[in-house]
Amino acid sequence: MAYIVPSLRETLEDRELYTRSSLSDVTCRQCQARVMVRKNSEHHTSIQWTREAVETCAVFSDLDQREDGRPVHSACPQLVASIEYAVSEGMVTVGAGVDPAGLDRDRRADD
Amino acid sequence: MTETRVLDAGSVPERFARGWHCLGLERDFTDGKPHSVQAFGGKLVVWSDSEGELHVLDGYCRHMGGDLTQGTVKGDEIACPFHDWRWGGDGKCKAIPYAKRVPLRARTQRYESVVRNGMLMIWHDPEGSAADHESLPPVLEGVGTDAYTAWTWNVIEVDNAHCREIIDNVVDMAHFFYIHFAFPTNFRNVFEGDKATQFMESTGRPDMKAEGYGDEDLVLKSEATYFGPSYMINWLDTDYKGFLTKVILINCHIPTGPNSFNLQYGLCVEKPEGVDEATAKYIGDKYAETFEQGFLQDVAIWQNKAPVQNPLLCEEDGPVYQLRRWYEQFYVDQADIEPEMVERFEFEVDTTKANENWRAEVAENLARKEAEDRAAAEAGSAVETADA
Ligand code: FES
Ligand SMILES: [Fe+2]
Repeated sequence: MAYIVPSLRETLEDRELYTRSSLSDVTCRQCQARVMVRKNSEHHTSIQWTREAVETCAVFSDLDQREDGRPVHSACPQLVASIEYAVSEGMVTVGAGVDPAGLDRDRRADD
Repeated sequence: MTETRVLDAGSVPERFARGWHCLGLERDFTDGKPHSVQAFGGKLVVWSDSEGELHVLDGYCRHMGGDLTQGTVKGDEIACPFHDWRWGGDGKCKAIPYAKRVPLRARTQRYESVVRNGMLMIWHDPEGSAADHESLPPVLEGVGTDAYTAWTWNVIEVDNAHCREIIDNVVDMAHFFYIHFAFPTNFRNVFEGDKATQFMESTGRPDMKAEGYGDEDLVLKSEATYFGPSYMINWLDTDYKGFLTKVILINCHIPTGPNSFNLQYGLCVEKPEGVDEATAKYIGDKYAETFEQGFLQDVAIWQNKAPVQNPLLCEEDGPVYQLRRWYEQFYVDQADIEPEMVERFEFEVDTTKANENWRAEVAENLARKEAEDRAAAEAGSAVETADA
């Protein structure tokens, strides 16, 4: 059954853009968990995990053993450090902002 | 020339979310009378049996459609006002006083319910799955005991918006400044599984004293998590001039129709040591008032805004698309939940830059106000002189 169905084709493109574009691969230097990272600016970080990565993360596995489970909000400090390292090495582009104007259809319209 | 941006209104979902929904405080349903709750495009009847256990059925009798919420509790059952058929909490018709036997098919829609933290929760699933007790919100230790004030409870009817509007708030950093007159100083989101969390630290805006979440002296540390589609627990640590208070705010809603919902909120306060009962209650009521103002500020926006499936974002905005992707898991069949709807996602933004701009705006507002006040005072004294 249908959720909220967009009426414009471009909405699907926007969705794709905001959730999947400009992501860089970062591997945790501690446990090899692989995540996707986006930094719109120095002040911003988005981290997209996969289920596999969460299972690989050593810090999360430890937290999972806790009696009341792993608090969803706690970040993995090892991964944070690995991201900082990747940024300092230029492996993550800072300012990888996403803007629908960057899409081809708008470029065409700009002519 | 640039193309004009078009708002995509999209279609309203054809179903209501799967998950636990809160119908209100247990204490409001235990008076031995049937209660009516608008929910999921219809009406539910809630009553407590002779043991004090709460039951929830569809509000309309399967005989001839009588309104059970206007019926009577007889023994453990709800009796229909039309022909007195007796319905049990298990959804079965237990007796028809004028008939020899009850038809085999006399079974109505029942909602599995649990009382959690003093609140009545029911499981709703269009697919009819058994209730998932794993996904209930956590037990709040100490709540319901003498350590906390009793829950306050309020309901606001929102008749022109889909309840996803309130969900969007989880990621909406900037609206705290413009709508709630607060400076968010720290902002973070985490979505994983059926939970979505917002962390925020904020202070009030000095130019909007007493019009939002308190003045600049009120420092809020807030952790708010949706446990499923509709029930948020917000742990708020507040520091007002060194006076620390722990508030637990519940923000939950029930969809009442395809484009309407009832927003409900309640809070309780950990009684500060050495503070008497009346003062603790006073503090609780004060916070309830503050947050009521906050919710009404949101409602005013929702009632008038357009639905948007394609929000246009700037780099400082929160992860709206990822949040909506998370929320979608509750609107598809369980078998159709895609990995990325539930996979962990983290978003963090240091609000320093935004705050620099906002502080400048506030300083301007304060300066303008001061100038206006001065002008008013001078005009006032000029009038006095003329009068004299
Ligand atoms: S309609 Fe309810 S008893 Fe007849
Ligand atoms: Fe809000």
